[in-house]
Amino acid sequence: MTQSNGEFNPFDPTGMLKGMRDSNMEAWAKMMVEYVNTDAYAESTGAMLDAWLTTSSPFRKVMEKSVNQAMEQLNLPTRDDVTRIAERLTNIEMRLDDLDAKLDELPQACGNPSSEAT
Amino acid sequence: MSNATSSSETGPHIPTFLEICAGWHRTAENVDKFNRLLTTDAKIAQTPKELIWTLNKAKLYRFVPQVPEAERKKVPLLMVFAIMNRPHVLDLRPGHSYAEYMLKQGYDLYLLDWGAPGPEDRNVTFDDYTLEYLPRVIRKLKKVSGSDEFSMLGWCLGALISTMYAALRSEDGLKNLILLTAPLDFADKTAGGFTRWSSNPAFKASTIVEKLGNVPGDMIDNGAKMLKPIENYFGSYTMLWDNLDNPNAVESWHAMNTWVRDTIPMAGGAYEQLINDFYKDNRLMEGTMKLRGETVDLQQLKANVLNVIAEADHITPPCQSERVMDLIGSQDKEIFRVRGGHIGIMAGRGAEKNTWPHIDAWLAERSD
Repeated sequence: MTQSNGEFNPFDPTGMLKGMRDSNMEAWAKMMVEYVNTDAYAESTGAMLDAWLTTSSPFRKVMEKSVNQAMEQLNLPTRDDVTRIAERLTNIEMRLDDLDAKLDELPQACGNPSSEAT
Repeated sequence: MSNATSSSETGPHIPTFLEICAGWHRTAENVDKFNRLLTTDAKIAQTPKELIWTLNKAKLYRFVPQVPEAERKKVPLLMVFAIMNRPHVLDLRPGHSYAEYMLKQGYDLYLLDWGAPGPEDRNVTFDDYTLEYLPRVIRKLKKVSGSDEFSMLGWCLGALISTMYAALRSEDGLKNLILLTAPLDFADKTAGGFTRWSSNPAFKASTIVEKLGNVPGDMIDNGAKMLKPIENYFGSYTMLWDNLDNPNAVESWHAMNTWVRDTIPMAGGAYEQLINDFYKDNRLMEGTMKLRGETVDLQQLKANVLNVIAEADHITPPCQSERVMDLIGSQDKEIFRVRGGHIGIMAGRGAEKNTWPHIDAWLAERSD
């Protein structure tokens, strides 16, 4: 992108920035890797995440409750209803897959491999 | 910016007004190009393949063979990627695709894509992936390929699932198992950021799952990026900026960035299990891991094993992949160490000269 020959050129501001960046980036990278690998970082991140989840949870619950109530009033399925149906569909899909496999085995079991379904 | 050259004798070249204008024009063009690369998707996963099986979000693909049937390897190969990323990194871009490479070597190649879990999948666990999905995938693969034997290549958490499957269903026809950067042993709680963070009592996976259901893809992505924050949040972009004039580097960066940006959530149940049972309690290595009530006994793993370890892996440090070799019951087992990182060993520039040929050579001997 820019010329970098290690010498100072006042007319090439991009080159100056690049030089500064290159000389600092490696040191920063090493320092940050060391920092994120400390117990203090692990503890503070865990605590922050926990605090965020705990404080945002009541708002989410209120929102979910009001949306669910509105959907019920409108005789529309809620997210939970759809989720339950999707779970059941997955179970049905698994059974169908097993049935399909058994059907494939049937011709061989009957001693007629040539008619095996493809 | 400019073509200015300087020497100690003449001092810095003072650019003319026209040179300055041309420089700024070029910079403006590069900013535009940079922005376009950041916000658009490259064409990845272009190797032709057909969908042969689906279950819930999971899909099994068969790559269209590129070698006549008579010249093909007899044992088909199934590739199982991690559950929290798309598997396209195995088929990154034409001319630099592991799938394409293996097809040219004559493998009958299959790819399992776990798909993105929805809210209804929040209770899906490793039990489901290992004992509900994978056996059905293999059943289909055997039917389509017509082979009772198969090889499996598992990468990252895909390697964890493959290992457990291989131990629990050792009579199922698995002949060769290739593990890539497999996170299996979490005894060393100081090895790698993930282990250190997740083993801290302040980190509560159960709370995350209880409040969020599935773990959002962005959360996982940012967690991975925070392992090397400067490289991932700045270094990657400065590298692109510096190489904008290099079409190969730009194409490679764009393809990788397209894959990285395509994050998917992780099923809540699997996440909780990963943190509590694997990272915190190290159950697989301790021999106390149970899936659907069955204890995963690594001694029962009898397939030939090639364990590929990335020496500079910050996501799965080498120590997490090494000890499994002492515990498995396989007679034919080999560790292959590669210089590179978690993704770089398979998708980096050196992969096609180093990792891919070694895997091919090891597997080819055992695929006929």
